[in-house]
Amino acid sequence: MLSRSSLSRNAPRALAAGRRSMASAANPAFQYDVTEASGVKVANREVEGPTGTLALVAKAGSRYQPFPGFSDALERFAFKTTLKRSALRITRETELLGGEISSTHSRENLVLRTKFLAKDLPYFTELLAEVAGQTKFADHELNEVVSKLLKYKQQIVHSNPETVAIDAAHGVAFHRGLGASITPSQTSPFEKYVSGDALAEFAQNAYAKSNVALVASGPNSAELSKWVGQFFKDLPTGNASSQYKVLPTVATQYFGGEQRIASKTGNAVVIAFPGSSAFSTAGYKPEASVLAALLGGESTIKWTPGFSLLSQATKGFSQLRVNTENNAYSDAGLFTVTLSGQADQVGAASKNVVDALKKAAAGEVASEDIKKAVALAKFRALESVQTLETGLEATGSGLVHGNKPYQINEIAQALEKVSEQQVKEVAKTFLSGKATLVSVGDVFQLPYAEDLGLTV
Amino acid sequence: MSAPSFASYIVKRPLLKRWMQPLANWYTDAAGYRKLGLKFDDLIPEESVNVQKAIKRLPSKEAYDRVFRIRRAFQCSISHTLLPANEQTKPEEDVEYLSPIIREIEKEVKEREDLDNLVVRK
Repeated sequence: MLSRSSLSRNAPRALAAGRRSMASAANPAFQYDVTEASGVKVANREVEGPTGTLALVAKAGSRYQPFPGFSDALERFAFKTTLKRSALRITRETELLGGEISSTHSRENLVLRTKFLAKDLPYFTELLAEVAGQTKFADHELNEVVSKLLKYKQQIVHSNPETVAIDAAHGVAFHRGLGASITPSQTSPFEKYVSGDALAEFAQNAYAKSNVALVASGPNSAELSKWVGQFFKDLPTGNASSQYKVLPTVATQYFGGEQRIASKTGNAVVIAFPGSSAFSTAGYKPEASVLAALLGGESTIKWTPGFSLLSQATKGFSQLRVNTENNAYSDAGLFTVTLSGQADQVGAASKNVVDALKKAAAGEVASEDIKKAVALAKFRALESVQTLETGLEATGSGLVHGNKPYQINEIAQALEKVSEQQVKEVAKTFLSGKATLVSVGDVFQLPYAEDLGLTV
Repeated sequence: MSAPSFASYIVKRPLLKRWMQPLANWYTDAAGYRKLGLKFDDLIPEESVNVQKAIKRLPSKEAYDRVFRIRRAFQCSISHTLLPANEQTKPEEDVEYLSPIIREIEKEVKEREDLDNLVVRK
């Protein structure tokens, strides 16, 4: 039989501390209150309810990795064997408690996420601290588990022309830093950089106290900072002289250009421009997200093409998907129009994209449509903050990058103030500046920037 | 992995260990595997899942050396010769390189069995 497990150690503690009063009044504010516990920034949103979420956001996405594949490998090493317990034990204990653990990474952040019943907060706080501070990074685990999972991830990325195109667009637009591949491509020789020891050293810096933030939704603030203070006090402080340190933030520069990738998996074209960075940073331009909503391409309502310029313009193409997005990062943004589907339709529709941009730049858009676009942009911005999935990372990212946390009313005000003139201006700068064009798929049929009238 | 032994009982008692050590050294040397250039861990039977897994986990240099030692010993055995004295395994080279990995794997297997048969009492 098992000896006294940490499960049984934690259970009474969780019970003793976990009594909470019932909600007295609905709390309409979705603001996070930010505190610091034993040197770690903690943002918490008290939401009365039976479950809670706790995430650790580390500034260790692909932008900050010293060598290719490090963020990916570190993400997959989360919740693996630690100095205290094995990966199997972590899995089984989480199953018994009915929790959920997952890890993801974006270009800027690595997110370890746990969801649990409210009384299990201490267990999962301890688990996150253990993963951050005491993961073993055994070589055999890298070879037997992590590298295999990474291979599958590469296959997923490779098989979707859209993700290949978006990734290549970042590379063309930003070169290094934000341009680093979010997952190394199947043909990249990243294995020679990745080893257990190197990852352990990278983790020391990635999970250093100054490099992480904890974001929670649900638990009581006082209780949370008590447990965080207790478990996170031994988190490493990092070693700045290491070869495998988290790369320092270098101001992102936009380059632009064209790339064509032959692929058999499908067709995608990404037309990109320098967009708006995240809210509350210097490069925040609300008009870019309004223009993204105006160009659109995907309807928000069933059985109708919607008001957006691109969905109207591409109504006739049945085998085509169009999507416009402003990818916001801490000091830059990439405004992307993604088209995917049949090669001939993608090629024809890319011309429509440039035409639509020209229309917006010339001010030939109904003011009603701009109003609709402002409303949609506002809804999307606020929803992304309110929704747990995106809100946790956005909040944590703000904390580790030293920006102020999201303020709902300020976002709403900034977007409401956007005028038709501003939208016109931003479309004009897109057309006059250098664009980024990436074509993936049947490059024989896909257009060159020259054909579309874009300067690269 | 191996037959029952008194080794751990003896090692725990310093006096007994001091008496037994010369005897053990003589016995190991007389076993003869060092004269074929092998280490003790090379003699562990490979035909089990755990040992196979352990061999896969060896660092590439050690895995290569292991195969080299076994092949060399095989040749010696076929030709009914012993290695020249300078190529034979020295006692200080005869260290455990595989057993720690096997023990770790056995621990993992045991933990999995224990967790599979876990009874939750609330």
